[in-house]
Amino acid sequence: MSGFMYEAKKIMLHQRGLLYIALVLLLGTAWLALSDAPYDSAMEQYRNEYEWYLEKVDGYCTDESSLYLEQEAWRIAEARGRQDVLLEDYYDGKISESEYEKESREAEKVLEHQNGFEVIYQQYLYISENAENRCFLQTNGWTGLLGRGTLDFILFLGILLLATPAFCSEYGCQMDTLLLTSREGQRSALYKLLITIAAVLFLCAGTSLIEYGFYRFKYGLPHGEYPIQSIRYFADSGKGISLLEGYVSIGLLRMFGSVFLTIFLMWVSVLAKRYALTLLTGAASVMIPYIGLPKTGIYRLPLPLPFLLGTDFFAGDVAARDVLTGDEKIIFAEVDMVALLTLLLVSVLLCALAAVWILRRNTNRWLMKAGRKKHGLALAVMFGLALTATGCSGRGKTENIVYNSSAAYDCMGYEIIGDTGTFAYSLKKSSTGETYPLVRSPMFGVFSDEERVCAVMSCPPYLYYSTLVMEGHVNRVGSYNSDITKVTVTELNLDTFEEKTVFEQITNSGRSLLGIDYETGDKWKFLEFHYAFFLNDDSIFFIGNDGISKVDRFTGSIVKPDIPVKGNLSFDGENIFYKNDRGLLARYYIPDDETYTYEDIAVYDFCMDEQWIYYISRTDGGRLYSCGKDGSDKELISDMPALSVTCDAGNIYVLAKASGEQMVLPKRR
Amino acid sequence: MTRLIKYEFYKLFCRRSILVVLILFTVMNLFKINSEFHSYSYLADGNDSRSWNSVYWQLYEDYRGEITAEKINRLLSLYQPLADATADMTASTATDNPDMMTGNIYSDQNILEKYYVQPMEYFYHYRTYARNVAERAKENAAVYKERGQTYELRKNSVIYNLYSGRNIGDFAYEEMYNYYLNYDFSGILVLFLCLYGIVGTFVCEKETQMDMLLLTNPGGGKKTTFAKITAATLFAISVSIWFSVIDYMGFTCSFGSAEGGSLPLYAVSNFSTAAINCDLWQYSILSAAVRAVGVWTMGMVFLVISMFWRSALIPFVADFGAALCLIITGASQSHFSNIWLKVINPYSLLANRILFSKTEFVGFAGYPIQSFLAAIVFAMILGAASISAMMLLSRRNSYIFCWTVKSRRRTRGTFMSALSNESFSH
Repeated sequence: MSGFMYEAKKIMLHQRGLLYIALVLLLGTAWLALSDAPYDSAMEQYRNEYEWYLEKVDGYCTDESSLYLEQEAWRIAEARGRQDVLLEDYYDGKISESEYEKESREAEKVLEHQNGFEVIYQQYLYISENAENRCFLQTNGWTGLLGRGTLDFILFLGILLLATPAFCSEYGCQMDTLLLTSREGQRSALYKLLITIAAVLFLCAGTSLIEYGFYRFKYGLPHGEYPIQSIRYFADSGKGISLLEGYVSIGLLRMFGSVFLTIFLMWVSVLAKRYALTLLTGAASVMIPYIGLPKTGIYRLPLPLPFLLGTDFFAGDVAARDVLTGDEKIIFAEVDMVALLTLLLVSVLLCALAAVWILRRNTNRWLMKAGRKKHGLALAVMFGLALTATGCSGRGKTENIVYNSSAAYDCMGYEIIGDTGTFAYSLKKSSTGETYPLVRSPMFGVFSDEERVCAVMSCPPYLYYSTLVMEGHVNRVGSYNSDITKVTVTELNLDTFEEKTVFEQITNSGRSLLGIDYETGDKWKFLEFHYAFFLNDDSIFFIGNDGISKVDRFTGSIVKPDIPVKGNLSFDGENIFYKNDRGLLARYYIPDDETYTYEDIAVYDFCMDEQWIYYISRTDGGRLYSCGKDGSDKELISDMPALSVTCDAGNIYVLAKASGEQMVLPKRR
Repeated sequence: MTRLIKYEFYKLFCRRSILVVLILFTVMNLFKINSEFHSYSYLADGNDSRSWNSVYWQLYEDYRGEITAEKINRLLSLYQPLADATADMTASTATDNPDMMTGNIYSDQNILEKYYVQPMEYFYHYRTYARNVAERAKENAAVYKERGQTYELRKNSVIYNLYSGRNIGDFAYEEMYNYYLNYDFSGILVLFLCLYGIVGTFVCEKETQMDMLLLTNPGGGKKTTFAKITAATLFAISVSIWFSVIDYMGFTCSFGSAEGGSLPLYAVSNFSTAAINCDLWQYSILSAAVRAVGVWTMGMVFLVISMFWRSALIPFVADFGAALCLIITGASQSHFSNIWLKVINPYSLLANRILFSKTEFVGFAGYPIQSFLAAIVFAMILGAASISAMMLLSRRNSYIFCWTVKSRRRTRGTFMSALSNESFSH
């Protein structure tokens, strides 16, 4: 067996190089799968609808595609308006059912892909800013692959484990001096260098390929030939490269960064001859600039770190406006090609010098150094990142829910008083007139205007409320983003006034941890805009202007059922009742993910109690009816035409059409 | 024992490499602090007579000290005309206006608003805010008493006592303290240095096989282990305190002022709901002490992990990974309301504003314990448990040539057994 093979065997088997490589690839893949979230969640959610439009405008934004999108925007707006008019005309008897169906089918055809249109129109607005180097394409895959820009900690630890023992193990057992006396031994340093670099290159290439495969499989990586500026992360980049070229370049730079770190570690180990000092130098040379320096500074240093990150070599200038003075401040200055090549050249030179140094120090010279005996190593790499706890409460609390988004149903004798100006909510005990602040923490909302209650839901004996809190300590734009926006759902027991957090989430997509900025995608952004919510034991449903978002309380996964949010929404724990686009009462059965439409119940407005649905009939001049939850057992409640209806545990409240006054009616028994 | 601890301390931590790293990290820290000032303070615009820096400190003499109605009126009479003139954004943008302090009307309005009007408004209103909190806590306590909720009753009583009487009577420069209290970088340097120093505590003897030899010594075995733990404790605490002192001095020098130390902690706006009532200078000392406890706990955890290995590679990477996990989870959980997660993570003590900036409680046996107290107690327990584990798992000394020891110990080990142990381990 040649010396090379002996060295390879030593590094890969005895020093567990193969095991570390396998572990890094395995853990890296697992982490990727667990932590990935689409950058543009709407694009993923309405994928089919989006792709329908994408087929028509794919590629560069031409005058035709621009015209098409503008016309389509107009057509959709018109179809929405037309649909409302048709519905009114139909229920007013101005048009027949067949006419209505024919006309509304046409409108529906236009609106068939409207969610996807919202996504592509946002992309169109971005592309229009600089149509020359931006294209329409599915961006989630490429953004995930290229636009993260954070350090791969698992790969970093893997390189530390692979490169450090190559020489340190020899120094540890004084084999270094012995090796120099043998003919093969003199070449062992070169073999070590080559084998470790090859292992690190394999590791790095493997990681890059796994990432490529992952994003290609999950989102697709279409049109690699389109300019890199097509994805927002590289919006203002001055480099004329394509997406695929960007991937290859970033991959190559990362490979170089890994080799740089490896050679650096080996050089330090040759100098220091000790594990601890080598590891400290390696870890500190990466982590300290990463945490301590602004990004612009990092990308100007001949260190392994900028190459290990790679991404921002191709990003453009990032500027932010100072809120106080209104001045533009450059947060990140683009690295131009000359600077990149100079940095690369200097780094290559440093690598070469370090390699020469390593080899010279291991040529045939008798090194009289005190050594240490090598003993076997064992594995204990601890790596497990705890994720954001979304919180959960005990099950079975929400069995008998009656929720109407238009009015609170039963608050156990309390009235919820909300001040729309200050967002201060309080509970008023109807029997005694005493009021209590809704949020039990005495500090809430006192010191900051950025703390407010968003929505309330009652489910006796509990009352749930959601709050939005914004915090931050840096009040000037700079390299550190300290802003946090947090949405919390709290459970308040109305008997005991005990509180418990049942859901909590930070909504910012751009976050900062110890000065390291990272992107988490916009999946929680919708929480900032919710105005109502309801929940059961498994899920929380947030209602915003763009629809309902169902959030699993245990896994945090988000689903958007196709339910329009115009008008009242009722919820009984398993079913969501709503008025569909045709004005018909509909029910969405959550466990089976199925929708049932009550074809014969067209409503202006409705509400629900434990047993009955009360609705203002659209087909019967606005009179108030009631029916069972399955639509059967209809009964006329009031002859008086009404505009809206709400109910609470005791009565029905109707807004009379003629007088505009609110009438109180008894409930159906 | 004292001599043994001294020897161990010199051997393990008074090394050239540690000294070099300490100096290097200290210099880096000072550079970072200086860059914080230049990145975030509007007063870092030089010493020109029309710079914000000069204008601020000229005005400062007029407004510092007790907040009085006269000072407020004087400030408003200066600020309000500027605010009115710039409200519709049609005022002149000239930068050499001789009537203006900074040469520009917008700039004058901005400096007054940011550095005088906003802080003075916050200071002035704080008493009312705190009184509101105290009143609400009192009302809450009554509500919970009615409902028999003893824990909530006690919690609100503590809040009432904490907030009643809170007041910011004086006006002072607090920007330096804002950034000082939110500064984390030195914590990472301390962790790195401790990791490097501590990881070799047990490993260095194993690498040179001195551990075998030590067992034959009367001072070896558990005594040596104890001395090492004590030396590591001293090292961790000294490094932590050193960097706390450097932080304070660095911020004072970079921002050019230590003014504001006598303001209460809640004068810094993101400490408005601070868990304790103390002055900013007192909090600086408290924070250094609490950070030392956190560093010590993490150091003891590092020490336990490194105890089982014969070279520094795996323990260093494992400790580094563990520290990363604690830092990432600690920092990402710092904004959430699950207090227990903050309490059990020693990183919360390192960046202790996580605990001190909010009045939060954990329930223990029906009593509300403030989160910082619970975190300190938990860290102490974790550190003590780590020490106990190390003492239990460390080997007893086995020797033959020491006749001074008690005879009952002679039966436990002999030089031959030590030798046979050694040959067995080979």
